[in-house]
Amino acid sequence: MRRALVVAAKELVETFRDRRAMMMTLATAALAGPIFLALIFNMIASQGERARTLALPVGGAERAPALIAFLEREGVRIVPMPPDVHARIRAGELDVALEIGPDFAAEVAEGKPATVSLIYDRSRDRARASIDQAESLIRAYARQWGAQRLMLRGVVPNVGQPLDIVAEDLATPQQSGALILFLVAYYGLFAAVMGGMPLALDATAGERERQSLEPLLATPATAGEIVAGKWLAVAAFAGLVVVVTLTGFYLTLSFAPLPPVGIPFLFGPREFGRFLVILLPMIALMPALLLWLGSRGRTIKEAQTNLSLLLFVVSIVPVAQLFLQRREPDWLVAAPISGQYLLLNRALRGEALLPGDLALSWVVPAILTLLALWGIARRFSNESILVGK
Amino acid sequence: MIVVEHLAKRFGKRGEVLAVDDVSFVAPGGEITGLLGPNGAGKTTMLRMLATLIAPDAGRATIGGRDVVVERAAVRQRLGVLSDARGLYPRLSGRENIRYYAALHGLRGADRDRRIEALIDELGLADVAGRRAQGYSQGERMKVAIARALVHDPDTILLDEPTNGLDIMSVRALREQLKSLRAAGKCLLFSSHVMQEVAALCDRIVILAHGRVVAHGTAGELVAQAGTQSLEDAFVTLLGSGEGLAA
Repeated sequence: MRRALVVAAKELVETFRDRRAMMMTLATAALAGPIFLALIFNMIASQGERARTLALPVGGAERAPALIAFLEREGVRIVPMPPDVHARIRAGELDVALEIGPDFAAEVAEGKPATVSLIYDRSRDRARASIDQAESLIRAYARQWGAQRLMLRGVVPNVGQPLDIVAEDLATPQQSGALILFLVAYYGLFAAVMGGMPLALDATAGERERQSLEPLLATPATAGEIVAGKWLAVAAFAGLVVVVTLTGFYLTLSFAPLPPVGIPFLFGPREFGRFLVILLPMIALMPALLLWLGSRGRTIKEAQTNLSLLLFVVSIVPVAQLFLQRREPDWLVAAPISGQYLLLNRALRGEALLPGDLALSWVVPAILTLLALWGIARRFSNESILVGK
Repeated sequence: MIVVEHLAKRFGKRGEVLAVDDVSFVAPGGEITGLLGPNGAGKTTMLRMLATLIAPDAGRATIGGRDVVVERAAVRQRLGVLSDARGLYPRLSGRENIRYYAALHGLRGADRDRRIEALIDELGLADVAGRRAQGYSQGERMKVAIARALVHDPDTILLDEPTNGLDIMSVRALREQLKSLRAAGKCLLFSSHVMQEVAALCDRIVILAHGRVVAHGTAGELVAQAGTQSLEDAFVTLLGSGEGLAA
């Protein structure tokens, strides 16, 4: 154990000596939060802005003066229809436009449904708020007009409205802003992997590449002690990077002058602590996996190739979960990465963190960590690591 | 003292490469024993087995009376190894590189620091020991590698081609270092494919070719056995050719 600590101390000293790499790693970790949150808040704020002062190009406005008056009363700014409206909407310069059909007046006079066209591109996220607003205003106008017609014929307007839909939104304040929650969890998870990477590669493939592994293995330190020491060092550093990343998010969310976008969600000291507890198995497992993959490379470059698969899995799993529409199955909490991501989301949504779930999320990563460390120790005591220079 | 009895080692998937084949010799304490042979003769494999890094397939070897397979940990405690791979940690200073090995050998405190400083003085590293190993010359790197192999004051020292890549001045300094270790009663075993070096330094010589011992003995015994005038001629005669050797 003493020797393991000697190895760990030496690895950490060496890491902190590499100033430039250190600064890069820590700066990236610290800035991830502020930068991404700034982008998202900016997006949300501008969406709100667009929706509030909807500028709606209307073609043939003179054919439906009552509709135009209604829209203007609702605070919509009516602007003339540009000739190339389709191209502009496709290019994202305009969100939505309204075209009053040429036979509008005639159709109204005959008592037929009169045609108005809304032109938009729903694949544009930024335009969605404007589209929804325009659509609901026009529907409201149609409802109002319909009700008036029924009353003129002596019918209670309720006849045409058999359902009264009451929307009951169960999202707690913390549940909104899913994208921000996703990013905080995602970056917390990613920090555990990325943080330990340079050190893990240097401590394994690096030792082989610069020919320092053989003399190290000839000392009285056993392969187990050497591996334990290297793992301790990488895990400690990965833990540091996770803490720095979360601190970046925490400081941004608590102190930065954020625009009032109506997404009060929780990332306070309690969530910070929960995040660390949830991420602990990753801070143990990822360094072990990184070291294992690193020990299979003769050079750092070769080891980096081995790492790409791990990085792919870690980055794709949370994204896949984000798009998963069904409720997550219960066993998912036990799966590494998925389990952590799931619990991180629960913690952010302010849900209770059950000790049983937490314990379950630790089991598989703990077993994998031990397996990986055992694998590296075996590899280090195998003669092929010396022969395969 | 190193005692090697019928040591053998095979490599390859089906053991088709016989790297060391039935090798026996004795390297006594207070002497320098040279392992001479062309490249690929099995010298490095031999030394790695003695350093307990790889396990022999057959035979046994003891260092200071301890078996290299059964008493691995005890052997390592008293053994200094300067292997063919002698990379340093570039971001640590020379002194820190040496201290790391001292700590791995369980040395601590003032004793350890005294020992490190003594080695640094002895090897003429005083000027560079505080600098990062990154910028070291070949010779300086070599000296740090020697210092870390000797830091725990081992009784037995194994050196694999120690003069490889060194300039003349460094080679001479290394020779002096080895002689003073011999004078201190250490058992030294070093491998080389350079005839001059072995002839100049060794009390005993073991000649290896294709994994087997071709001849062994003192310089006088080898010359007598080969019936030649000089030791160099004796090497060539005993090996059958001088191929793979350097003068």
